[in-house]
Amino acid sequence: MSGRHAPGWVTSQGHYAGSVSRLLAFLIDAVVSVGLFSLGLAVANLVWEVVTGHSVHWTRANIVVAIIFVLWEFFYFGYSWAASGRTFGMAVLGIRVVGTDGAALAPWRGVVRALVFPLSFLFLGLGFLGILVQREHRALHDLIAGSCVVYAWDARAARLRFLARDAEPSMNGSAPGPAGAGSAPGPAGAGRPGQAGGSV
Amino acid sequence: MTRASRRTGRPRHHPPGMILALAAWPILGTVDPRDRLRSAGKRLTDPAEALAQRVAERVVDLVVEVLDVNALMQRLDLNAVLRRVDVTALLDRVDVTALLDRVDLNDLISRVDLDALLARVDVNDLVQRLDIDELVEQTDLGAVIARSSGGVATEALDAARSQAVGMDQFIDRWVQRALRRNHPGPVAPGEPDGREPPASPDGHAPALSQPGQDQ
Repeated sequence: MSGRHAPGWVTSQGHYAGSVSRLLAFLIDAVVSVGLFSLGLAVANLVWEVVTGHSVHWTRANIVVAIIFVLWEFFYFGYSWAASGRTFGMAVLGIRVVGTDGAALAPWRGVVRALVFPLSFLFLGLGFLGILVQREHRALHDLIAGSCVVYAWDARAARLRFLARDAEPSMNGSAPGPAGAGSAPGPAGAGRPGQAGGSV
Repeated sequence: MTRASRRTGRPRHHPPGMILALAAWPILGTVDPRDRLRSAGKRLTDPAEALAQRVAERVVDLVVEVLDVNALMQRLDLNAVLRRVDVTALLDRVDVTALLDRVDLNDLISRVDLDALLARVDVNDLVQRLDIDELVEQTDLGAVIARSSGGVATEALDAARSQAVGMDQFIDRWVQRALRRNHPGPVAPGEPDGREPPASPDGHAPALSQPGQDQ
C-alpha cells in the first residue's frame, strides 16, 4: 500500500467548492424539497378527505398551493442556510455556505441568500455562471448575500476509512488487492477518496 | 643436580665460590642460607606496608577534609578536560547492556515530569511526520477504524464526494484555460494569495487529502 502514496498531500477542506458539487447538491435538494412537499400535500389531501368526507385533489397548479410551495422552498433553503449553513443536499456532497471571510454564515445572510436565490435563475440561469467563471466560484445570490460555498467534508477521515477498508483484508490474513489496476478500493467504479481530485 | 634444584625443577646456579663451599660443606647443597633472610625480611615488610597504607589513608582523609572541593571545581576548566577525553573510546569500553541491567527504568520513569516533557513536544510536527498509510497498514488501527466508522453508506458518500470534487477540478481547469487565466484565483475564503486555506467552518483543522492533481 505504501507504494501507492501520492507524493504531495494537500488540503482542500475550506477551498471554494466547484460547479459539479454545487449542482449535484442543488439537484438533491430539489428532489428532497419537492418530494417532501408532495408528500405533505398528499397527507393534507388525505386528512381533508377523512375529516370532511369530500375528496379533494390539490396540485401545484392551484395558486394557493403554488404560493405555499414557494414559501416551503424558501423555508427549506432559508432555514437550512441560516441554521447550519448547509442544506441536506449540501451535507451529502460535503459542502457548506460560509461568509466571505470563511467564518460561519450569519443567519441573516442565510435568509437573504434564500430570498435572492431565485434571481440567479433569471435570464436562463445567468446568475449561476459566476460559479463557473468567477474566481471564487460565487453565484449572483452569493455576491448579494456576501457568502460563498466551500468544501467542508473531512477528507482525512474519508481517506483513513479507505485505508482501513483496504488494510482490513490483510489483517484478516487474506492478501490485499493490488494497487491500482484490478482492485476496487471502494464501491464499484468509485474513485479513491482523496485521490485524483477526489480529495477535499 | 642438587635436591633443591630438583624441588624447584630448575637447575640452581651458584657462584663459583659457593660451588667450592658446597663441595667443602655438603649441607649447603640442600639448604639455601638466604631463605632465612627472606622470611625475616617478609616478617618486617608486611606490618610496615600495612602501616604505610593506614598512614596514607589518614593523610588522604585529612587532605580531603581541608580541601574546599567546590572552590577547586570552580577553578577547574571542565571543558578543557573534556576536550582531552576521547569519549568514543570511553563509550566503547562501557558495557551498555550491563549498565542498563542495573537501571530501574520504572523508577526512572516515575521521576520524569511527563507533562513538562510533553509541553516541549510539537505534536503537530510529530503528526505531520507520521506515515498514516504505513501506520494503518502495519497495525490493527485500520480494522478498528473500519469497524467503528465503516459502512456502505459512508463508503458511497466518500466515493460520491471524491468523484464530485474530481469533476469540479476538471471543469475548473478547463474554464481557467478557456479564459486564459495565468494566475489561479484564491482557493479559499480570506486567502488572497490562495495558498493556505483557513480552518474549516466547523473549527476542525484542515484535512489532508491525497490528490495527485493540480489544485
